[in-house]
Amino acid sequence: MPDKLEITNNIRTLRFFANEMTQQALAEKAGVSRQTIIAVEAGKYSPSLELAFRIAEAFGVPITEVFSIIKKGG
Amino acid sequence: MSYQEKKTIISLVTSFMLIAAYCLYAFGKAGMEHLNDLQFWAKTILIFIGIGIVALIIIQIVFHILLAISKAVQQKMRDEAIDDKEFERAFEREIVEDEMDKLIELKANKIGYSIMGLGFAAGLIAIAFGASGVALLNILFLSTWLGSFIEGLMQVRYYRKGIR
Repeated sequence: MPDKLEITNNIRTLRFFANEMTQQALAEKAGVSRQTIIAVEAGKYSPSLELAFRIAEAFGVPITEVFSIIKKGG
Repeated sequence: MSYQEKKTIISLVTSFMLIAAYCLYAFGKAGMEHLNDLQFWAKTILIFIGIGIVALIIIQIVFHILLAISKAVQQKMRDEAIDDKEFERAFEREIVEDEMDKLIELKANKIGYSIMGLGFAAGLIAIAFGASGVALLNILFLSTWLGSFIEGLMQVRYYRKGIR
């Protein structure tokens, strides 16, 4: 059985370095609600590939700088 | 609390009030007098479904209006120079339904439909064991309500705890 994967993110750090971008501003850039950004940032929701790319684009960085994968139990 | 979460809670409260009214009416004096009158129960359920739909629409409209007013007041207190168009855009952003909302709805729907399906099976089993048509109608109606109520509860849970 393949290892369980956990998706982590650096959204909080990236917001800090983007002149303390608000969650609302990021939500607007990514085209989702603030609630969704809060959930993604807290690791409570794994975004679709499309949203992940849109978040990365909002910060102007590659997707791998925003999201990373941790293998669990392996 | 997000707009979608508030909307779901409002629906839950409306739905609970409706079923409480149904139980009080149907299992009170009126229902007991028509225990084997299938037509009476069918009419009662139809009337309550109608009342439920109308009540839900009215309550959602009122909720929407009140939410818009409260947001407008909050925005004005924060920034007096804000114009109507800017506020409209801010409000639209607040009520936007995105991929997470759709996923939560789908997951909750699945649970709701499972409960309705179980209710249907329970109704058939009840009939097989000699229950009346009135019992079948009530089992179907109550399981449909329970399914949609638990669907709402699951939505709120997913909004609070997250969805992976």
